[in-house]
Amino acid sequence: MKQLVAFLLWMIAAAPVTAQVQGVKLDEPVELPAFAFENGIGETFNAGTLQDQWTIVMFGFLSCPDVCPFTMGNLEATIAEMGLRVRPDNVPKVVFLSVDPDRDAELIGTYAKFFHPDFQSFTGDRTDIDALIEATDSFYRLMAPDEDGYYEVQHSSSVSVIAPDGTLRAKLQPPFDPGLTAEFLTQLQIQYRREAS
Amino acid sequence: MKPVLMGLVAACFPAALWAQDITATEAVVPLAPPGVMTHAAYLTLHNTGQGSRTLIGVQAAGYAMAHLHSSEDKNGVATMSVLHGLEIDAGQTVTFEQGGMHIMLMHPAAPLSEGAEVALTLQFANGETVEVTAPVKRLGYGS
Repeated sequence: MKQLVAFLLWMIAAAPVTAQVQGVKLDEPVELPAFAFENGIGETFNAGTLQDQWTIVMFGFLSCPDVCPFTMGNLEATIAEMGLRVRPDNVPKVVFLSVDPDRDAELIGTYAKFFHPDFQSFTGDRTDIDALIEATDSFYRLMAPDEDGYYEVQHSSSVSVIAPDGTLRAKLQPPFDPGLTAEFLTQLQIQYRREAS
Repeated sequence: MKPVLMGLVAACFPAALWAQDITATEAVVPLAPPGVMTHAAYLTLHNTGQGSRTLIGVQAAGYAMAHLHSSEDKNGVATMSVLHGLEIDAGQTVTFEQGGMHIMLMHPAAPLSEGAEVALTLQFANGETVEVTAPVKRLGYGS
């Protein structure tokens, strides 16, 4: 009995520490610079396409064996969860932006479709990539090739959340639990509408 | 009768691991996006033996290369490092899973569809090899 009480007390004490943080809301919205991306299958991504919908942007690269497919799979599940929580026009659009245009330009358009038919993937000029990376306080670095010619690309693990007014509002963080991430996004949208009204 | 039965069992499970202390379970190759030249395999390894074993390499049939890798989040940056030797103590179970340790598969000879199988050969420091068959599956996610 004593042990049980001790265990329950430990559970209560440990709960806030073990609770996962799925996202961070920015103190102030951040304006994004002009940018323009295409993907070879007729889709475009620019400041205009951000308007009037929520957008989630993940930076990555196609030769990414583990983290990128894992994150995209979790974002797909998150979007499914959002569909249960918000109006269809508030379900975020998911964009994958490759920071490795040299290897990825040819294949980029179909990558995101593998995870969800509505997801979009783009790459483009390094200037535009770098502008968006900087504005979202993100990071990437092309590593030196190994003996087989493969090079890794390090990139921010967090994902940017852009509001319907085109400003950056939050970052999503690993482990991207779909239910908790959807809950975070839903609360973010409620706060956004409250601030706008 | 008994030896015959044993022989029959052995014939049914050519990769039965009586001679080896490492068992591999839950092997899977998640279906990869079309055209992607680099993806991953995952599995769980259990050392049922008395001594530790060190996994030093892997080969994957149908791929130009396969490497033991580990994904790590370093201050918000997703990075990968090569595992040069993974020690598995007696009785220990190690799990290769998404967002952590993985077998990086590079340059498939042909695209693999769901239901295909990838033959993996795990190489250990003592010269042992363990054969594992990993089915290609589309992974589901969700809470």
